[in-house]
Amino acid sequence: MMLSLLLVIPFLGAFALLLWPSDPAPGRMRAIAITTLALQLLWSLRVLLAFDPRLGGMQLQESLSWVPMIGLDYRLGIDGLSLPLVLMNGALTLVSAVCTRDISQRPRIYFALLLLISGAVNGAFLAENLLLFFLFYELELIPLWLLISIWGGAQRAYAATKFLIFTATSGILILGAFLGLALFTGTVDFSLTPILTERLAMGSQLLLLGALLIGFGIKIPLVPFHTWLPDAHTQASTPVSVLLAGVLLKLGTYGLLRFCLGLFPEAWALVAPWLAIWAAVSVLYGSLAAIAQRDMKRMVAYSSVGHMGMILLAAAAATPLSLLGAVFQMVSHGLISALLFLLVGIVYRKTGTRDLEVLRGLLNPERGLPFTGTLMILGVMASAGLPGMAGFISEFLVFRGSIAAFPLATLLCMVGSGLTAVYFLLLVNRAYFGRMAITPPSPDPSADARLDIRLAGVALRETLPALGLSLAVVGLGLVPAGLGWLSESTAAAMAELPALLAAGAGGLG
Amino acid sequence: MPVIPELLTHAGGRPDVDAIEARLLAGETLLADTAEHVVEVVDVLNSYGVVLDAYSTNLIFQAEKQFLNPFPVFRFLDGDLSAAKIWRHLNGDRINFEYAEYCMKAMLWHGTGGLDAYLDSEPFLRNCAAIIRHKTSRDPLLALLHPPFPNFLPEAIRAAATTHALGQFWRVMSDLFLDLARAEAVGEVASIAAVVDFIKAALVKAAANPITYAVELGGERFWVLPPEAGLTFLVDVAVPYVEAVFLRGMPFLGTVSFNAQAQQISPDQEQFAYGALYADPLPTMGAGIPPSLLMQDMYRHLPERLHDLYRQRTRGEGDVRVKICMSFQKAMFCVTNAAIAGTFPHALASAVPGELAANRAYARSWAGRLAVARTDCLDPYSAGQAVA
Repeated sequence: MMLSLLLVIPFLGAFALLLWPSDPAPGRMRAIAITTLALQLLWSLRVLLAFDPRLGGMQLQESLSWVPMIGLDYRLGIDGLSLPLVLMNGALTLVSAVCTRDISQRPRIYFALLLLISGAVNGAFLAENLLLFFLFYELELIPLWLLISIWGGAQRAYAATKFLIFTATSGILILGAFLGLALFTGTVDFSLTPILTERLAMGSQLLLLGALLIGFGIKIPLVPFHTWLPDAHTQASTPVSVLLAGVLLKLGTYGLLRFCLGLFPEAWALVAPWLAIWAAVSVLYGSLAAIAQRDMKRMVAYSSVGHMGMILLAAAAATPLSLLGAVFQMVSHGLISALLFLLVGIVYRKTGTRDLEVLRGLLNPERGLPFTGTLMILGVMASAGLPGMAGFISEFLVFRGSIAAFPLATLLCMVGSGLTAVYFLLLVNRAYFGRMAITPPSPDPSADARLDIRLAGVALRETLPALGLSLAVVGLGLVPAGLGWLSESTAAAMAELPALLAAGAGGLG
Repeated sequence: MPVIPELLTHAGGRPDVDAIEARLLAGETLLADTAEHVVEVVDVLNSYGVVLDAYSTNLIFQAEKQFLNPFPVFRFLDGDLSAAKIWRHLNGDRINFEYAEYCMKAMLWHGTGGLDAYLDSEPFLRNCAAIIRHKTSRDPLLALLHPPFPNFLPEAIRAAATTHALGQFWRVMSDLFLDLARAEAVGEVASIAAVVDFIKAALVKAAANPITYAVELGGERFWVLPPEAGLTFLVDVAVPYVEAVFLRGMPFLGTVSFNAQAQQISPDQEQFAYGALYADPLPTMGAGIPPSLLMQDMYRHLPERLHDLYRQRTRGEGDVRVKICMSFQKAMFCVTNAAIAGTFPHALASAVPGELAANRAYARSWAGRLAVARTDCLDPYSAGQAVA
């Protein structure tokens, strides 16, 4: 029941909000959502206490036969790969709810959808049955589509529809691969075990793996399936962007590790060199595209494309160290991108723009956003992989774990990591340094220098979520051993899969 | 193109040279005459007066008691070396005397007017020689330093002389600004025009005050700026001060960084326009901006009436120093206005064509310099700003 509560708490909260008899004020609904999510986070921490990091396999398993004739079992389990993501889901959904302010339009549905997404994401991370995973994977899709299409920006309809088309395609490919697995193996056993695929011919394995790779590649997203992400981020509100970048993209990388590498280790080893090249292309493309952006949010979105590509590199190398690096990268990217989106959100709320051609000098001590700017500098330093922060330890582990397997791709990814410093320094330099302005440069520079800028100040409570994430980013950078301790055994076990299958040992399910 | 809410940016007016010249010749005030402006100017000058009192006392103390001290570590303590005073000083609970030094250095560097001319004169060098002879006979370090660097001690004495002269100037200005506040409190001053007149009258009254400076070394008195030099308050100190601090300023410690190698700074010091009247108030409290020190000092002594006004505007307490800087700039335009009005070559009411032409030429030369200053602060305050 321990893991089921991670689903029950947010789902019950969502239903309670939807079925609440009277019409409570938006603030009351926000309080209910925050309380529910705080409970969920606390319970996630309780699961952490019960978790034994020395074991590489699934723990705290729960099983219930649901629809046996189609192989749908309610089977939950947790390991060193899913536990950090469950914890991050708990924390970032709470941050999303906390930083949702002034929501006047349909607050009841908004917060219910937020809770629904959080529960569905927990379900996807915990599912030990392929169909169950697929159910939860699809379950978060519609609420997120609604969150973008109802509470988004001016172009929200376009962005939401694009998001829906892309991720629905992703879902179809994943479902197709799972059903194909049943078709090829002739069973309706959808449990999570690589032993099934061992019976398949390599051609079938490659076909199924290809479908999964594209399916999860859309979700991550990897170039060239990434085009939905910048649009979705640009149009989504800040809390939704936090959720999208921090948690939902991780469903893609989680799927990559759990189902692509986990179910098809032999085929994976075969395509790994190509995946490493794909990762390098994705990292470089994401970084170069980020340099060209003038919308702060699009820049952060493209940086996501770059940083998520590194997880593919780590997964392709599939060494114990690189897989540990992949877990670190998922967590650190989740924290850093959530932090950056929160800060961009504050800038947007205060100035009405995110245009880097317009914003200047926001570090101004009295009239600007100095604390927001300080945290932004910390966030971009972390994203660029400066030592002492989460980005460094994750990128170092990824590169160190992958360089022996794929030296060229790793070096290209390192260049991409260096480009992070380029585009984020461009961002900081343009938006935060110099004489403050929030207007396009005038042909007469002295006219610019005479403008009195009257931005409203940022209250401490508005910055608290970002401050919390900043502390987490620095904390993970300074004390990475905790997360390493949680995930090391699982990473090592996953890295051994191809060898074990080759030796015919199997039975890891 | 993004939609920026109009409330977030405000562009003040920018009168051209003709408009400023016309106002000066008509005897009108540069600053718009509103009740709010009176409060801003009088109260900010009130706090400035308190700060100037401290600056003046300290500058005179430095020039007299820290004269040629090679390690003037305690120069900001006014001779009070108690543990409590040192603790307050180290804790930052103090007036930023560094700003006063900055102004002194600006005056010394730009070097205009009678004071500067005297500092390069033969009599001054003779006085210096006497002082140095006396000093080096008792101070082995200075005795060691002087022969290889014979220009060092005279330059240090020039700096001390400027320090003392600025101290004397600010003594007068401090009393003037505090008197202005008292006059406004009893209703004698109720408009910007009256403020300008009050300042002009005080400046004219003090114009001929002698500026002298002597140091006592080993019980012996030495003149640095003797009475026979004939230096006076207005022409020899006040005008050079306005030139150096209000108008020219320094490009490196100003509100904006300038790149000298890229020829962004004129090689001609007379063309400098980095002074208080040109300063951008927005970066106040950023790193390396001396006016921030002054704003911090004035904030400590802000009259409650002005403080209340600031609390109602923009970010309230959050950007109070920027607002002080803006009010200070208005006040400095009033002082400049008074100085110009008091130094016209002929009466403004004159009907003699030659006198009129001279007045016009004088007004035009000022208008040319003021037109590129921060004249946007001269308009009445516009409401509708974002409030945190």
